[in-house]
Amino acid sequence: MTIVIFGGNGDLAHRKLLPALYNLHVDGLLPPRMAIVGVGRKELTDEAYREFAKDGITKFSRRPLDEQPWSSFSKMLFFINASIDGEQGLASLGARLDLIEHEGRLPGDRIYYLAVPPTLFAPTVKQLARARFVKRESSPADHPFARIIVEKPIGRDLDSARAINDAIAEVFDERQIYRIDHYLGKETVQNILVMRFANSIFEPLFNQRYVDHVQITVAEEEGVGTRAGYYEQAGALRDMIQNHLLQLVALVAMEPPHALDADVVRDERLEVLQSLRHLEGEAVDANVVRAQYGPGFNVGKPVPGYREEKGVDPNSRIETFVALQIFIDNWRWAGVPFYLRTGKRLPKRASEISVHLKEVPPILFNANPAARLDPNVLSIRIQPDEGFSLGISSKLPGPDVRPYPVKMDFHYGSTFGASTPEAYERLLLDVMHGDATLFMRRDAVEAAWKWVMPILERWAQQSDPIPTYPAGEWGPPVADRLIESTGRRWRGL
Amino acid sequence: MAGAVGERLFRESSAETIDDDLAALWCELGQRGTPIARAVMSNLVVFRDRVAPPDGDLATVMADLPLDEVIARHPSRLIVIEYQAGSQQPDAPFAAGVGIATFGPESARYGVEQVIVRSACAEVALPSIVRRLTRGDLPTSVWWTEDLSAVPPLESLVTMGRQLVYDSRGWRDVRSALRVLEPLVRRHQIDLADVNWRRLSPLRRAFLQAGPGGTPLVAPGASVRIAHAASEAPLAWLLAGALMASSRAALKEPPVVGASEVGDAALVVTLEDASQRATVTLSASGATVAGPAAGSPLVVSIPIETAADAVAAELRLLSQDTELHAALAALVQLFAAR
Repeated sequence: MTIVIFGGNGDLAHRKLLPALYNLHVDGLLPPRMAIVGVGRKELTDEAYREFAKDGITKFSRRPLDEQPWSSFSKMLFFINASIDGEQGLASLGARLDLIEHEGRLPGDRIYYLAVPPTLFAPTVKQLARARFVKRESSPADHPFARIIVEKPIGRDLDSARAINDAIAEVFDERQIYRIDHYLGKETVQNILVMRFANSIFEPLFNQRYVDHVQITVAEEEGVGTRAGYYEQAGALRDMIQNHLLQLVALVAMEPPHALDADVVRDERLEVLQSLRHLEGEAVDANVVRAQYGPGFNVGKPVPGYREEKGVDPNSRIETFVALQIFIDNWRWAGVPFYLRTGKRLPKRASEISVHLKEVPPILFNANPAARLDPNVLSIRIQPDEGFSLGISSKLPGPDVRPYPVKMDFHYGSTFGASTPEAYERLLLDVMHGDATLFMRRDAVEAAWKWVMPILERWAQQSDPIPTYPAGEWGPPVADRLIESTGRRWRGL
Repeated sequence: MAGAVGERLFRESSAETIDDDLAALWCELGQRGTPIARAVMSNLVVFRDRVAPPDGDLATVMADLPLDEVIARHPSRLIVIEYQAGSQQPDAPFAAGVGIATFGPESARYGVEQVIVRSACAEVALPSIVRRLTRGDLPTSVWWTEDLSAVPPLESLVTMGRQLVYDSRGWRDVRSALRVLEPLVRRHQIDLADVNWRRLSPLRRAFLQAGPGGTPLVAPGASVRIAHAASEAPLAWLLAGALMASSRAALKEPPVVGASEVGDAALVVTLEDASQRATVTLSASGATVAGPAAGSPLVVSIPIETAADAVAAELRLLSQDTELHAALAALVQLFAAR
């Protein structure tokens, strides 16, 4: 098998892809005959590319670099200087790939990874077709196969997403396309399905009879950093809500699939996205809050506001924080609000889904209005501190009957004693195995964009100032009001 | 749950790697094969207004406080902040260490997380450290280990917790300490928990029930004198506040408080009214009431409690100690009038 990484000397390859492939190699999960070929405009020798990979693994791998596995892994690494511009396009790439595969006696199965800006998706795919690298698969069992991995963002609106999908579909069959949302590759996200459908205790409670509301938070501690160029065109709604958070909503809210086949699971996730209540016009103002971080502090150190960041327009109206109240209009979730929030420069990096069950009746231990019991909360910690916990009330030891909120806590680290595999490890392995369950199908991507578009359109019509929040705090007060006006509050993280 | 530390893992860390370093320590424990549970019922932020020498060992920075004993009794994510106030430097020094202390028998081991931070950031930046390190889904208590009369609590820090734990036994100046507590008492925002206040519980019970026929001891028109050992002025004033709050109508005037020779006792309280005289003595063994009725003295025993027991008991309280608040409010009012 050959993995061809377009943008092979870029940041994603350096920080994520090469370390992930290295860890798969250490775990013995890569095929014995394998080549990993970085492709880029830069002139790099294979040796220089191996040094580039070594540096990335040393800095970013979850395991320290070990000389023995590195020695065998490095032999799989190659670099080819190629450009997608011009008539010749990828001709030089083809010749070198053939040679590498011939010398390594590789079967010719190829995975093309587009770790390049989205503007290059369509041109790259066209060149792959022109160079006759791709044969449409008629069956998943076809060999040699050609598969393509596409990184988000897939478009910046519904039209551009469709254009990208159309361009890829001209060359690849849908079953050959793997659209990555790396959140779906995280162990704890995969565990949502196991938790829901491998335990009899939770699933009967996951509906409007027992659930008061659901919260999903994806908090980032970092500011925009070096991504201002991209972020100024995106913002939190496009960057996080349209993909990661809506996919999490889909996983938490989906009906039990009748099988774990990729399309069966993806059908159920799509069903949730299609059931989201549309927000349009004034409903956007009432249910969606956007804000931008101002100057503040991060772990005691002063940090600049978004508009003072390098590469950001000093008058930028791009949101770095979004909070939403949304509803899923289906039988299971009718009337249950889902609160989503995401933002940059929040106090800590934390991603969590919490399912808040309804309160017990206000009698017995919950009779005192001044000291209501904490409702039961099932929280699924996606990162860091992966695991889940169930908050319950228990009697405090002693002569009085005093309930005290305690947690039943499952913690990956102390239970399994190993660092959990990175999302990219699992996702790359799934592509090798041809399992698309954790990838986004075209219809889901477009359904998510379709839902998001009225919000973007409403914002585009507005010119009033965007609220700000100090860096290092949990968003603007108006986000608190969004949830507190319903008698609820954001869960502390 | 109390017990000795079974094992302690500790490593130096940094602002960026605290979570990863803690996760690595848990993995290290998990790999040993013996099951271990993470125990965390609350956040305990321990504040210390001092900085050890730059090369001081972070792991032993709080050796003089019974932290292990406290978290063994009430497992809390322990966050020790060693703070050097007064710095306004943008790049104030920061150091951190993380650890896990394990407790319990092999069959029921539990581990408690510890984070130690040494910072000289501006006060306004301190909440960003606390927000980052606490678990927001758990109650947060701030344990102010300093003398409140000498090192006033930082409002930005204290108001982040639901509870402020302190020990008035260390107050050198009661009036100053009450002055800094006054805003907290007035606003009722935060539950105040004075470890020293617990020592008064037998005395307060005695005052409630030791009068004739089980009535309150303070009769209408009574005057009260509280003599205290040299180091027990805060306790004496707390009692005065408690009596003013609970028996304001009965007292002729506020209790008279003064240091005096009281032998082995901490406090000796004398009550006098037109018809009787009673003496109440608080010592290490409890409260003893002599008079007003004839017969043998009434003795209210004092629970045997270590400092760690007392702090852990306060951490378990999830509601306001209204009697302490009332006593402090009475004292604040008294001192303001003087």
